[in-house]
Amino acid sequence: MVVAEVPKLASAAEYFFKMGVEGKRFRPTVLLLMATALNVRVPEPLHDGVEDALATELRTRQQCIAEITEMIHVASLLHDDVLDDADTRRGIGSLNFVMGNKLAVLAGDFLLSRACVALASLKNTEVVTLLATVVEHLVTGETMQMTTSSDQRCSMDYYMQKTYYKTASLISNSCKAIALLAGQTAEVAILAFDYGKNLGLAYQLIDDVLDFTGTSASLGKGSLSDIQHGIITAPILFAMEEFPQLRTVVEQGFEDSSNVDIALEYLGKSRGIQKTRELAVKHANLAAAAIDCLPENNDEDVRKSRRALLDLTHRVITRNK
Amino acid sequence: MLIYRGLSRISRISKKTSFGRRWLPSHPLLSGASHSAAAAAADSSVKVLGCREAYSWSLPALHGIRHQIHHQSSSVIELDPFSLVADELSILAKRLRSMVVAEVPKLASAAEYFFKMGVEGKRFRPTVLLLMATALNVRVPEPLHDGVEDALATELRTRQQCIAEITEMIHVASLLHDDVLDDADTRRGIGSLNFVMGNKLAVLAGDFLLSRACVALASLKNTEVVTLLATVVEHLVTGETMQMTTSSDQRCSMDYYMQKTYYKTASLISNSCKAIALLAGQTAEVAILAFDYGKNLGLAYQLIDDVLDFTGTSASLGKGSLSDIQHGIITAPILFAMEEFPQLRTVVEQGFEDSSNVDIALEYLGKSRGIQKTRELAVKHANLAAAAIDCLPENNDEDVRKSRRALLDLTHRVITRNK
Repeated sequence: MVVAEVPKLASAAEYFFKMGVEGKRFRPTVLLLMATALNVRVPEPLHDGVEDALATELRTRQQCIAEITEMIHVASLLHDDVLDDADTRRGIGSLNFVMGNKLAVLAGDFLLSRACVALASLKNTEVVTLLATVVEHLVTGETMQMTTSSDQRCSMDYYMQKTYYKTASLISNSCKAIALLAGQTAEVAILAFDYGKNLGLAYQLIDDVLDFTGTSASLGKGSLSDIQHGIITAPILFAMEEFPQLRTVVEQGFEDSSNVDIALEYLGKSRGIQKTRELAVKHANLAAAAIDCLPENNDEDVRKSRRALLDLTHRVITRNK
Repeated sequence: MLIYRGLSRISRISKKTSFGRRWLPSHPLLSGASHSAAAAAADSSVKVLGCREAYSWSLPALHGIRHQIHHQSSSVIELDPFSLVADELSILAKRLRSMVVAEVPKLASAAEYFFKMGVEGKRFRPTVLLLMATALNVRVPEPLHDGVEDALATELRTRQQCIAEITEMIHVASLLHDDVLDDADTRRGIGSLNFVMGNKLAVLAGDFLLSRACVALASLKNTEVVTLLATVVEHLVTGETMQMTTSSDQRCSMDYYMQKTYYKTASLISNSCKAIALLAGQTAEVAILAFDYGKNLGLAYQLIDDVLDFTGTSASLGKGSLSDIQHGIITAPILFAMEEFPQLRTVVEQGFEDSSNVDIALEYLGKSRGIQKTRELAVKHANLAAAAIDCLPENNDEDVRKSRRALLDLTHRVITRNK
């Protein structure tokens, strides 16, 4: 789908789909599991031909959602790297660093347009609206991150809203799209949405913690890239509630690395890390609850997928990288 | 705008007093026996002030009076095409302004850029689209008509205005992204801070506009239209990439150049014209005609643009901004000149960072028929655009005819403009 007429554009777009750098394809995994969990069975060749064909077609359309989601995600990564002047992404040189800013921007646009065309081909305007809104949310989230006032940077509400836009919106809305394509009721669609949203938020909160702790349990061993870029995340926000003096440091900014050390000190004294983990667990539980509320189903594949989705809510919390 | 409203009044009057097909059955003079006379005169047509033929039904006795009235109305009808849609354009502009400025304060400067771009070229694209909407028989709703019919017409018009807004957003987003600079450009003396902020703003603002366009597109609930305009984004990207990454052979190829020009300039207008037709519920054939009009108009526009880059407002060479050639972009006049003077290709391959090469190229260009051939090609495309309008299904509505004349007029302006 990312083959283009112009070779340079094709290699740019393919950059993050190369084997080995796909980033465990977390999102598509969730979406395919959700598709099965909502009782759309992977077609088996033994069944009646017609029923089979319909099931296959639906599955194909839902796979398409997964593909579209990846394209939108990668497009946003390509653009974010340009915005951040990033050198590396997923362990290799970022595209903009390797091929130039402009090509990275164009490649992102290209992926976005392909996503739009694929979306249109599904001929379901509600789904198109859902995923178009995601694109707007991604942009809004990135803009919120770049253009905060001092008050906003120190606000937990603002941070959670931004996190929803930047991280959770894509997964929540595509889960909902999966449900809609499967012809599920509005209630089930909302459950799918809730699962995606809470899973995404939990994921991001743990991400914030790991940026400080890395693979060890102790502070300061993580990459610290958020704070060094001046991005204030949940642990620091919680710490600021306990230690208002920390806010002064935050407002000074972190270009001076001694401020980073001061912030880490406060963070260590506070319950910032623990509170963030607790919040992540809360969201993971909400995600699990959404799965439990799905209509009963005795099909073994459906049950397996739902257990897998529940399992993900645990992994998201317990991972340490 | 006063003139526009005055026009509608006149056209309404002329409808009442003319003896066009619509009016025929109820007029006392035409009842009963006179019907045959009317039928006999059915084929007569009147050409007034060079306008396309008027009504084909006319009574000989009243012919003179009708001629007079029509003459009067047409002399006022010959207006600037841009004024025909000026009212609507202001509404569009206000909507766009509120959509762009409201959300993100920091993007205010990008929004200003957007409106500067809108003013430039007299908002060419939206003008074409609004004229096309009318030309395909979707009338700007008038308050006198039946409520339901009116509501439907208004809704359709709003949707077509939406296409014009989406088109502008996509266009400006692509301009903003095209402005993203690579490291090489910063070494030419652009301040590093501006470079960083400029890039970020350009990417973000472009993404913002694109996302707004996506949402607006989705709201139209027409998947064919979504596909058309999504394809446009893909074409814009492809065209810009083609321009950035050409091999030597490709740069000297007319085919490659025309393909790139279609992607970069004409695809947006052709596909949005087609979208207008589809929203209006027109047949596939009409949709293709709308597409052809947009495509050929766009190509003609770009070819003249290429010429003007060399000639500027004068007829002579080298008075234009020469920005294409200085950026190493080889356009139609040079490509034609290369066909006549193969030696020019060597100069082209050396590149134009050395400005003496620019002078050499201009010399060859002057000796060649490059400029003339480009103009001829532009005229050819303008004529194809006009032909597409002529092939549209007959329509007696005065607004429709006016719009079609305006669209034809644009095909002339595109060729004759000198800036």
